[in-house]
Amino acid sequence: MPVDRADVVVIGAGVSGLSTAWYLAKAGKDVVVVDKGVVGGEASGRNGGMISERVDEPPLIPMAVESLRLWKTLEVDLGYPIEFIHQGRLQVAVTEEEMGDLFSERDVALRHGINVEVVDTREIEDMVPGISDRVLGGTFFSNGGHANPQRTVQAYAWAIQDLGGEIYQHTAVTGFQVVAGRVSAVETTAGVIETDEVVAAAGPQTGLLAEMVGAHVPVAPARVEILATTALPPLFDIALVGNGLYGRQAARGNLLFGGGAHEWIDVDLTGDPAKPNTPLVRNIARRLAELIPGAADAPVLRSWAGVVEQSPDYVPIIDVLDDPSNYVVVTASAHGFGLTPATGKVVSDLVLHGESSIDISGLRLDRFADVEPGWREERGWVPVGERD
Amino acid sequence: MESKPLVVVGAGVAGTAAAIEAARAGVQVTLIDENPISLSTMDMDVPLFFGRRIAGELSDRAVMLERVIAANDGLARAVDAGVDLCIGTCVWGAFRNSDNSRVLDGPQLGLADDRQSWMLKYDRLIVATGARDLGMPFAGSDLTGAMGANGAHSLMRNYEALASRRMVILGSGNLGLNIARMALMSGVKVPAVVDVSPTVRGDEALALELRSLGVEFYTSHTVKEASGADGEIDSVVLVQIDENNEPVVGSKKVIAADTVCLAIGSVPNVELLSLLGCEMSFKSELGGYVPDHDEWMRTSVENVFVAGDAAGFHDGMVQEPEIAENQGRLAGIAAAESLSAIDSSEAHARRSGIWASTSSAPPAEVHSYWKKWLDSLVNAGGPDVFVCRCEEVTCAELIDLQPPRYLNWTSEQMDRRSLQAHVKDGPVNPNIVKRLTRVGTGHCQGRLCREQVSLLLAGEAGINVAELPMMTYRPPVRPLPLKVMWPHDETEQVRTEWPKWFHPPGKVLG
Repeated sequence: MPVDRADVVVIGAGVSGLSTAWYLAKAGKDVVVVDKGVVGGEASGRNGGMISERVDEPPLIPMAVESLRLWKTLEVDLGYPIEFIHQGRLQVAVTEEEMGDLFSERDVALRHGINVEVVDTREIEDMVPGISDRVLGGTFFSNGGHANPQRTVQAYAWAIQDLGGEIYQHTAVTGFQVVAGRVSAVETTAGVIETDEVVAAAGPQTGLLAEMVGAHVPVAPARVEILATTALPPLFDIALVGNGLYGRQAARGNLLFGGGAHEWIDVDLTGDPAKPNTPLVRNIARRLAELIPGAADAPVLRSWAGVVEQSPDYVPIIDVLDDPSNYVVVTASAHGFGLTPATGKVVSDLVLHGESSIDISGLRLDRFADVEPGWREERGWVPVGERD
Repeated sequence: MESKPLVVVGAGVAGTAAAIEAARAGVQVTLIDENPISLSTMDMDVPLFFGRRIAGELSDRAVMLERVIAANDGLARAVDAGVDLCIGTCVWGAFRNSDNSRVLDGPQLGLADDRQSWMLKYDRLIVATGARDLGMPFAGSDLTGAMGANGAHSLMRNYEALASRRMVILGSGNLGLNIARMALMSGVKVPAVVDVSPTVRGDEALALELRSLGVEFYTSHTVKEASGADGEIDSVVLVQIDENNEPVVGSKKVIAADTVCLAIGSVPNVELLSLLGCEMSFKSELGGYVPDHDEWMRTSVENVFVAGDAAGFHDGMVQEPEIAENQGRLAGIAAAESLSAIDSSEAHARRSGIWASTSSAPPAEVHSYWKKWLDSLVNAGGPDVFVCRCEEVTCAELIDLQPPRYLNWTSEQMDRRSLQAHVKDGPVNPNIVKRLTRVGTGHCQGRLCREQVSLLLAGEAGINVAELPMMTYRPPVRPLPLKVMWPHDETEQVRTEWPKWFHPPGKVLG
C-alpha cells in the first residue's frame, strides 16, 4: 500500500463513503477510501437512481431536502456527468387503498412544508404518455428527481482523486488497532493505515465492522431486483412510483424499474456477495406493462440484483460511537442513493466538527439500545432455512 | 409448475445427439430449440449476427416453421426416438438456489415463444446452445448486409432465406471456407475471401475447390470500409497490410458486394451456464470463457451437462461435426445414468466407441489472430469505427472512456480521464467500462462486442486478455417484450402480497 497514514480512513466506496470522502478532501484532509471490491460495485451502483424528499420516513426529511438542494449543482461541483434530472416525482395509485395512502403521505408532506399536489388522471397522462387507465390518481412532488447511480459513484471517485484523495479497491478491512478508546490504525488486506478518524460506510457489512470494535450496529442485508428495457423514445422525465414499482426513464431511453420481493441474506467482510436474479423479473415485467401499457412491446434487455441493508426501523444510522470515539457509523437502510450529497456533508461535519448543522437526531444509534443481538432471528429477517 | 426429467437446450448436432442417446436409454427427454426465431428478434441480431439480410418470405411464420423442420433431420430422428420436441421456444433464463437465493422450489428454466413466457423445472439439464458470431469493428458494420458466419449459416441452412447476392467473407479458416461453399451452393456469389494472415488458414483442398469456383483469396488484407446507399452495403474497400498490421499505401481494392460476412471466429454460447453459476475457465484455444467439464460432459453444477460448441469451439470442429455429436452422446448417456435409467455398466458399454476428445487438435490460441484482425481494422478504418454498434460507441470513445455522446458532456476533468488512467486505479474490469461507456448495453445484449471490448481493454492495460474477468450475463438472455415476459401463471399470493419497498418485510416469489 502506497500510504501508511491518513487523516481519515473511509471504509466503503459506495455513495455514502465517497460523498463523505469528497467533502473531507475538499476540507483539506488526507483521505483514503478502502473497499473490498470496486467503486460503487454494490448497491450504490446498482440501485434505481431515485431521489426524493423521503416523506415516507419523516426523520430523513431534513437531510433529504438538503440533499436535493445539493444535487442541483453536483454535476458541476464534481466535474463529471451524473445524469441528474430534477423534474419531480409522481406517485400513482391503482386502488382506492393506495389512493388513501397517498393522501396520508401528502398530509405528512404538508406538515413538513414540502411542496406536493394531488394530480388527476389527465395530468398524469400528460406526465407519462401511455400510462394505464387503471390509474385512479396520484401525488406530484415537484422537488423529486433521479440520477444515474453508476455515473454518480464514478464521478465522486474521480473528484476525490482530483483533490488528492486515494481510493484503494479490492482492499478489505481485517481489523482495527484501538488505543485509549480511539482507533489508531485500520488493518487491511493491503497493509495497515494509521489514522485519526474512521468512517465506516460499508452498507450491509457495517454491522460486521462495528463488531470488530465491540459495537452493536443492527443491520439486516437483503437482495432486491430491477430490470431494464431497450431504449425508447423520450416518454417521461419524472421519477415514477406506482403499481408496486419504482423507476425512471434513463437519459438513453431505457425504462429502469424495480420492486417486489426482497430476500434476507448474510454477507461477509471480504467476499463479493452473490447477486443472482430470480424469476421475479417476470412479475416486475408484468407490473411495468400494466403500469405503462404503451411500453408493453418494449423488450427487456437485462435484469440485475443488489444487496442493501435495513436497520430495525428502516431508517438510516448516522452516529459517532462512544467507544472508540473516533469511529463514525453510516448505514443508509436502502435510502442511500438519494441522500448521497447530504450524507457526505453531515458525516464530514461530524468528523470535522463533531456535530452537523442538519438535524439527524432521528438517526442516532442509541435508538436501538434495546435491540438484542438476536433481533434478526426473532423477526425472521434471516435467510430462508435459517429461521426457527 | 411443470417439471421434466431431462431438458436439452439446443437442437443442433450436439443437442439432438444427446436427446436421442438419453431417449434410447429410456429417459423422457424434452428437446428445446429457439428456431424458428421471431423476425423482430432476428432484426436485433439476436442470437446471431443476421445482418438484416433476411428474405421477405420469412414474414410468414408458417413458412419459417416448415423450413426449420425440413432443414434439420435431427428433429425427425429425435421424434422417432421418442423425444418431446419444443421448437420456436427460447430459453431466456436459468435459475437455481444458490448463495443469496434460496426460495426457488427447484432448478428451473425461463422459456418463451413469440407470445408468452413460462417456467419449466428440470431434474437434469444438457446445455447444447452452440456458438455465436465474433464481432469486429469496421466502418459500415452497422449497415444492412454486415453479418456473421453463424447468422449466414443459419439463414442458409435453417431458413433458406439468405437475401444476399454477393458476399465478401472475412476469415479464411474452415468457418469462412465452409460459408463460402454454402453461399456458392445457395446461388450467392463470393468474389472474395479476406484474411489478415499471409496464407489461407483453412483446409487446403476446400480452398482449392473454392478457387476453381472463382473465389479470390486476399491474404495479408483487411477491410477499410463497407459502404452503400440507403443504409445497405453495396461495396467493400480492402487494403493490404504490412507486418505491423498497417495499411499499405496504394493497395486499395474496391469490391462490389452487398454482404460482408465475419467468419473470423465463433464464441461459445455460455450464457445459461453462466447464469447457473457453472465454473468457467478462459481457454483461448476454445474461444474464450468456457465451462469446466469432465470427460462425461458434467459441469461443476450438479445435474447440469454441456455438449457441443457451447463447451468450446475451434475452427477444426467445422470440418468434424462428429466432435459435437460425440460430446452430445456422452452427455446424454451421463444424464441417463445419473437418472438411474441405465446402470454404470450399461453406461460404460454405451460409451465405448465414442471418443470424446477432438481428433484435430485445437490451435494453441486464437486471440492473437483475433487481435491482429482488430488492429488491422482499426488501423485501416480509423479509431472512429464502432466497437459497439447498438450503442454507437467508437473505439476512440472506449479508449478515452468517454461518456456517451447523447449526454453532450465536456469538462476539463473528463478530458484528463482515459482508459489508461482508469487502468491505474485497479485491475481493469469490463463491467465497469461497460457502465461508463455503455458498450455492450444495447439490443444485441453485447453479443457482438464483448470480445472486441476485451481485446481493446487488455491491449490498453498491457495484459493478456485471459486476465480480464468475464463480462457478466444477466437474464433475460434473449430480449423479451414486457408483454411476452408477463407471467400468466402468476399466483394470487404474488399479486396480493407484493411488498412495496420492504413493506411488509417478508418475501414472495412467483
